[in-house]
Amino acid sequence: MSRPPEDRGAELRALFFESAYELLQALNEGGLQLETHPGDEEVLRGVRRAVHTLKGDAAACGFAQLSELAHQLEEVLTPEVVQSRGAGIAEIVLSAADIFGTMLFAYERNSEPRSGIHLQKMIRDLLEGPSSKKDLTAHEAHGSQIAATFAWTEYEQLMISEAVHRGESVYNLALRVDPNSLMRAAAFQLIRNVLHGSGTVIALRPEDNIAAATVEVVEAALATKFTAEALAQRCRIPAIVSDVRIERAGISEHELLDDLLEVQANLAHAEHPDDPAPAAGSAIGAAVTAITETSLRVDAARIDAVMNLVGELIIGRSMLNRTLAEFDKSHARDPVRTKLADAMAFQTRVLDELHKCVLKIRMVPVEQLFRRFPRVVRDVAKQCGKDVALQVTGQNTDLDKGILDSLAEPLMHLVRNAVDHGIDPVDERVAAGKPARGTVFLNAFHQGAQVVIEVRDDGRGMDTNNLRAQAVEKAILKQEEATRLSEQEVLNLIFEPGFSTATAVTEVSGRGVGMDVVRSAMGKLKGTVHVSTQLGKGTTIQLRAPLTLASIQTLLFRVGGRLFAVPLSSVVEITRIREDEIHMVDQREILRLRDQLLTLVRLNRLDHIHAVAAPPAAPTKKTRFVIVIGAAEKRFGLLVDSLVGEEELVIKALPSDIVSSDLVSGASILGDGTVVLILNVPAVVSRFSKALPMEAIA
Amino acid sequence: MPQFAALQRKDNKSVRYLVVDDSVFARKNLIKMIQTFGGEVAGEAGDGLTAIAEFNRTKPDIVLMDITMPQMEGIEAVERIVRQHSDARIVMVSSVGYQENILAALQKGAKHFVQKPVKAEVLYEILRYVLSDDPAAAGAPTVLAGEHA
Repeated sequence: MSRPPEDRGAELRALFFESAYELLQALNEGGLQLETHPGDEEVLRGVRRAVHTLKGDAAACGFAQLSELAHQLEEVLTPEVVQSRGAGIAEIVLSAADIFGTMLFAYERNSEPRSGIHLQKMIRDLLEGPSSKKDLTAHEAHGSQIAATFAWTEYEQLMISEAVHRGESVYNLALRVDPNSLMRAAAFQLIRNVLHGSGTVIALRPEDNIAAATVEVVEAALATKFTAEALAQRCRIPAIVSDVRIERAGISEHELLDDLLEVQANLAHAEHPDDPAPAAGSAIGAAVTAITETSLRVDAARIDAVMNLVGELIIGRSMLNRTLAEFDKSHARDPVRTKLADAMAFQTRVLDELHKCVLKIRMVPVEQLFRRFPRVVRDVAKQCGKDVALQVTGQNTDLDKGILDSLAEPLMHLVRNAVDHGIDPVDERVAAGKPARGTVFLNAFHQGAQVVIEVRDDGRGMDTNNLRAQAVEKAILKQEEATRLSEQEVLNLIFEPGFSTATAVTEVSGRGVGMDVVRSAMGKLKGTVHVSTQLGKGTTIQLRAPLTLASIQTLLFRVGGRLFAVPLSSVVEITRIREDEIHMVDQREILRLRDQLLTLVRLNRLDHIHAVAAPPAAPTKKTRFVIVIGAAEKRFGLLVDSLVGEEELVIKALPSDIVSSDLVSGASILGDGTVVLILNVPAVVSRFSKALPMEAIA
Repeated sequence: MPQFAALQRKDNKSVRYLVVDDSVFARKNLIKMIQTFGGEVAGEAGDGLTAIAEFNRTKPDIVLMDITMPQMEGIEAVERIVRQHSDARIVMVSSVGYQENILAALQKGAKHFVQKPVKAEVLYEILRYVLSDDPAAAGAPTVLAGEHA
């Protein structure tokens, strides 16, 4: 057929695309129906009709390649072929719809879809016989299971297509990082080295070593002179990369065609023609979802920038609030006052909503982190010769992406520990009347403004007396100190550097990373770790982290004329005491609060946070406020001069050259411009409990 | 210890190794493994400076390099060796705690790394991989595992 005259061309083209996309939709629906009812002849006829129409329309518009391809598909959609291929035909229909879609897309932009002959030949191979294309190597079929998006930016796509135009071969690579690799950042660096040594890296995800610490799949676009086979060999780096997927980049029909061929290969291998390999289904599923994907990849820095601006807005709002309060006083009768108040209330509501929305952008389900653990547990259990099941709950719990990423390493350590040390050997378990198969539980939930992640095992638990003995043996504690420690304090010893409870150093443990790594990682997040154990029953370790790092509810107070804040989540209660109720015990100030002894802390004694050194005056009847603060299991009382109130503060990180103390976790600015220091509660607790005599603190 | 097919050079000669570690025990351990892979020890060194001298003297096929050593750390030794011999094949040997250093060594041109405690089968695969990456034979990497020695 020939092209229509030019004047009618544009109109016809528009009409063609409109109807073609409808036909594609029909193909997709038909494909899905064929998946559930493989033999449905009515559906098949519908699909065939759609393909036939597309063929004719495409030919009429002069889109020869599309027309030819549709023709070939039409030929195969006969009841006989369907009978011999079974449900597999559905996948072919769906993939064909995708290929047609990308071709239409190219035509619409007046570019010719590339490599038509190649495409047709492969389709023909595909249609002629299931065994004709068996030479796909096993790893490629296998590797297709790696979920990869290859969501390159427009710039990167441009670079790819330019490289293709220059005649270079460009591949999209997805490399699965070996889940056993403990040094993710180093592993990523090595992958990077290999990629750079194999050609020109056009695009790479993740982009830096820090982000790589939690990533399971590295994606790259590479222009290279190697063949796909040689490239795969180079990329299969022992101990680093466990799986490789390679596909040609730049020509989108190609990718989809590869998928189509994989379906073919899988069908050829399938024992029952009506039972297609699940891998094939997922590969095609990924191809389909890739097209309907509505989510957006955004640079995290941009979100942070928005977040910062919202933070500034919140500060701005409290400035306005203050000004409004002053205005209220001076113009009590001014009618403008209520108008301003209304406007303010409206603005507050919207701003709160905005703040929530922005925080939500960064929130991801903890499932992203949890999903790697079934494999880890299996592997570690195998290494230790144990039989261990993993039970995961609460995987839909949301938390900040940044926090999630920082939790990855400590959690990995805890889970490995639980399997290696926590779960007892089978014979011990059976002797103790427990099921032979051990279980590790991973759980996540929200509690207030915190997220709690729990690693629990039903193993042997920890013997606190044993821990005491170890501490003495390792000269961490003296005998009398060890006996004086509470059970909880003894358990916390496992977080001390160099303290290992394993009697034997196994392959899994004894790698030079201890629980102290877990604690310091949590400290950086302004979170806590809590251990509890029951001898013979198991151990539970709780990681608590703030839901988001951006803003927190705080309690403001003054000490020595300076303004401080503590996170409201760590305040247990506030009480009022007389100074003569304070007792000195063992050079510490102690308060008896409802039959409980509470250690008191004066901020002006703790450190050089500020220089106002009010000497402990002679006990008077003067009343003081005490804020009772809880961090993990520890409680202490903070003696303050006055309470200021609650306030939502946007935390600004302090550069370490300005504040050298770890006792302060950040600062914030109030509406009137006052700077508030936010106390790092866990650090205050540990500083105070370490510095025994009070003189040593000053 | 399991049996391994001998790793060989392209010219069918045995692979020559330089083993660098400040712990004699660690060196002996590595050497034992290398020998089961059919390799030959070209030299040993207990610190970075000696390692450089030994490299220049013996021109080994592979260097196994510890990270923390007296005199000169592994990273600096890597940097100096690679500056003179860009085709040097250096495999870092280190425990997990030194990830930062391994990262630096990889950036300076080390070819691979292996975690301590070293497992023979892992080291074997890594060496096989590193040996197969022959710059002269780009495009057609060959696996150099010969018959069982």
